[in-house]
Amino acid sequence: MYKKFVVLIIAFVCAGHIVAQDLDLSKMLEEESSKEDKMRTNYTSATFKSTRLINGHSVETLGKGILDFRISHRFDKFSDGFYEMFGLDHAKMRIGLDYGLTDRFMFGLGRSTYEKQYDGFVKYKILRQTSGFKKMPVTVDVMASVMRRKDTAAIISELITNHALSVKDIPWSRKMYYCFQVIIARKFNESTSLQIMPTLIHNNIVKKASDPNNNIAIGIGGRQKISKRVSINGEYYYVLPAYKFEGTTNSLSFGVDIETGGHVFQLHLTNSTGMTERSFIAKTQKEGSQWSKGDINFGFNISRVFVIGKKKTQSKYKIAEGH
Amino acid sequence: MKQRSFVVAILLFSFTSLFAQEAKIFSVKSGKISFQSDAPFETIRASSNDVKGLLEIEKKLFAFKVRMESFDGFNSSLQKEHFNENYIESSKFPEATFNGKIIEDVDLTKDGNYTIRAKGNFTVHGISQERIIKSDVAVKNGKINIESAFSVLLDDHNIPIPKVVKDKLSSEINVKVNCELEPR
Repeated sequence: MYKKFVVLIIAFVCAGHIVAQDLDLSKMLEEESSKEDKMRTNYTSATFKSTRLINGHSVETLGKGILDFRISHRFDKFSDGFYEMFGLDHAKMRIGLDYGLTDRFMFGLGRSTYEKQYDGFVKYKILRQTSGFKKMPVTVDVMASVMRRKDTAAIISELITNHALSVKDIPWSRKMYYCFQVIIARKFNESTSLQIMPTLIHNNIVKKASDPNNNIAIGIGGRQKISKRVSINGEYYYVLPAYKFEGTTNSLSFGVDIETGGHVFQLHLTNSTGMTERSFIAKTQKEGSQWSKGDINFGFNISRVFVIGKKKTQSKYKIAEGH
Repeated sequence: MKQRSFVVAILLFSFTSLFAQEAKIFSVKSGKISFQSDAPFETIRASSNDVKGLLEIEKKLFAFKVRMESFDGFNSSLQKEHFNENYIESSKFPEATFNGKIIEDVDLTKDGNYTIRAKGNFTVHGISQERIIKSDVAVKNGKINIESAFSVLLDDHNIPIPKVVKDKLSSEINVKVNCELEPR
């Protein structure tokens, strides 16, 4: 009995020596760190290349201390023909400045030539997609924006005639519009991401008495990377028929993102001309915004980021000079 | 009874031999790897404390690695994102590794300062290069301190520099390593 036991032990000891002799340090290292890997939570980054998908917001927020200067253009539609150089003779534009207050919270201000709008927004990342120890399948943002029309003459002609109001009856608060959005996104792999965007738009004043004051829409968007720095995007907003303005259609856009260092160029084709949420989601006109009739606007967004707040880690960190 | 004491002796022997085996392997207790890119228009620095490493002092074998996503510093969080997303492709190639053997016949069981050459496979961005890296090794009170500085050519590891950032990113990255190892 004991003899067998002894033999067994000797066998084990020998086996131990044999294993030790066949030393593979990188394998040992792998085993050691695999325990740690299981305990680590990996946060998904770069679900989209920019804070805007095409017209609307993506789930991305600017990092802390980053200032983003954005210029967006939408030319007129191709169907305007040669006389208007297929829409290139006219353009609507928005100029905007966004800032990341923290890594998860950003805000921005903008001005559009379309209906002379001012707009401002805040966006906060509530949940972050993770893998590893803690698992979260999606990233979730909330976005709230406020828009104000300043094209007084147009408002007067549009509203007074329909409502039989005088100019005095339209206080400034009546020219305010609000948008609330929840953005739910998932990065499926390195190149494919999708997001859905339930949206509520509130209009303090509408054109006709029969028009709803609230527009409810569901947006869906996605991107497919075709190379490290180029992706193809799509974006569609479906406005629920009961909450839709008369004579409007849904916004559908396709685009390409090209990233070069601190710049992101976004080129796109869309049937919308406005660049604020109320303009493209709720006010894309049926007349003259039909993809099937070639009412397609070429457009682009240019984003240039600047680092404003230096990161603290930078000053603390110093490489020992020498050698 | 005799047999039992024999078994105990063997057990003791096997334990001590195992223990002796263990003591020859040192592992990184604390380490820091930093890199710096000196380009005309921009200096980029980043570092990581997530250094793992083993050193076997009898056969003088070693294995080191660092997780690329653990690098922090940079000039902005966007730069860090680009580092992981566009240059290093951390999701495809999560680690940089250096595995190999020390060329010099040094006795690292004895206290002292040694300059050694470490020869092995250096892997970044999924591409291995055979490198000989000079390092300063200090052994004191059973602890080993390794300090090393070397450079990495991005071209060697198939990391292209886009034209637009030509003046902002150096093609040669200076790397510094500082690790303290203790018996495992």
